Amino acid sequence: MNKVITINLGGNAYQLEEGGYDLLRAYLETAAARLQDNPDREEILSDIERAIAEKFRALLASHKTVVETKEVATVLGEMGPIEADAEASKPGGPGAMGGTGAAGTEDRGTPRRLYRINEGAMLAGVCNGIAAYLNLDPTLIRLAFVLLTIFWGTGVLVYLIMTIVVPEARSPEEKAAAFGLPPTAQEFIRRAKAGYYEAIRNFPDPKARREWSRQFRREWRAWADQWRHNWHENWIRQAPACPSWLGFALPALSLLVGIATVVWVCASISLLATGTVFGQALPDNVPVWVAALLLFLTYAILAGPLKAARHMCYKGFGRPGGTWCLVFLLDAAVWLLVLATLLGLAVHYFPALREAVHGLPALAHQAHDDIRAWWKGR
Amino acid sequence: MSVNEKFSAIRKGLLEFLLLQIIAAEKVYVADILKQLSATQFATQEGTLYPLLSKMRREGLLDYEWKESEAGPPRKYYKLTAKGREQLRDTLEYWTEINETVKQLGQI
Repeated sequence: MNKVITINLGGNAYQLEEGGYDLLRAYLETAAARLQDNPDREEILSDIERAIAEKFRALLASHKTVVETKEVATVLGEMGPIEADAEASKPGGPGAMGGTGAAGTEDRGTPRRLYRINEGAMLAGVCNGIAAYLNLDPTLIRLAFVLLTIFWGTGVLVYLIMTIVVPEARSPEEKAAAFGLPPTAQEFIRRAKAGYYEAIRNFPDPKARREWSRQFRREWRAWADQWRHNWHENWIRQAPACPSWLGFALPALSLLVGIATVVWVCASISLLATGTVFGQALPDNVPVWVAALLLFLTYAILAGPLKAARHMCYKGFGRPGGTWCLVFLLDAAVWLLVLATLLGLAVHYFPALREAVHGLPALAHQAHDDIRAWWKGR
Repeated sequence: MSVNEKFSAIRKGLLEFLLLQIIAAEKVYVADILKQLSATQFATQEGTLYPLLSKMRREGLLDYEWKESEAGPPRKYYKLTAKGREQLRDTLEYWTEINETVKQLGQI
């Protein structure tokens, strides 16, 4: 069963399957964008809407009231792409009216452009953009950058420069160009679904844009509500009425992770300060940075499973809102303790920091005096 | 490159002339025009026709009027203006000349 959307075309209501509605909307958006500079834009658009409506009407009958998605595709295929320039009208050969089925399909390759792509990006989308440009997996490019940084130290610099130099793909056309795809109707839909807001920004008519963003907000809110509801339901269903021993393991595990973190930080400080790990000298041919990296790896290997176990423990908590939430409080206390220990260590090991901390009361006094003086001086 | 492809630019240019000729014969609406063209080498789609018609109207070559249809909303029926008729006459003349040239060249 498909969702049906009612639309108004040339003053009459039509019911379209949701996929067909998406197609039609994308077609009209593309048309509006292409006619951007045409003085008769509004009139041509309404002509086109009326022509589409007429074709829909021919498809419907008393027992058939909904236009199916594939019928919308056929109709739009018959309509053909809107020519931006009236001079450059493009009659097809005989049989061009045969209905290719797809709206405005052009199979000539579109040149690729290098853009930064923010969707699914980790930082500024440089690797994502390069991957799209070269048709490779973004992870490979990211790996290359990391290796470049480790072995030659240039990866970060290159990345920064590219962030500044390479433009970000904002409009659907730019996004399509980043992947070397023609901005056809289907492409618009796929991308519009991925980045709803982008499409809104490019929607030309302010009234329609407002209406659309209202609708989007509505949909989004409904979705968020749904999500929250589902999450809560899941929690209730999965969580036992009373917390099991897992719940109590949480603070203990937190303590273990905390201890591992503190030990790692201490070892790193000792390594950087004295060149030894707690008095244990490094083998002769191991540079300090390799040792630091090894320390971090060891920490990550130790703490990883502990952290995963902590996550698992959330399940043991029982239903939210019960008195057992006190365990959360205990867990939070453990983390505060770890944080305090780390701060204490930092103050202990770095003389500059220690002096700053000792100087704090005097600084506060001075600030107090300054403000008083300024207040009185007014 | 086939002859069909080579002539695509020429067909584009000729489309406007053909529209003048079709509309000169009788008042038509877009579906009629498309139907007449569909059997020829000049088969065209609405996406091309509407912008072209609006450009020609802007240039004062043609005009339209609304007419009720038996079923559904009223339709736009196009007709030529005096300027459009004049342009059609000129174009026909010019077309005949071109045809003569094409036939005569290389016939010595």
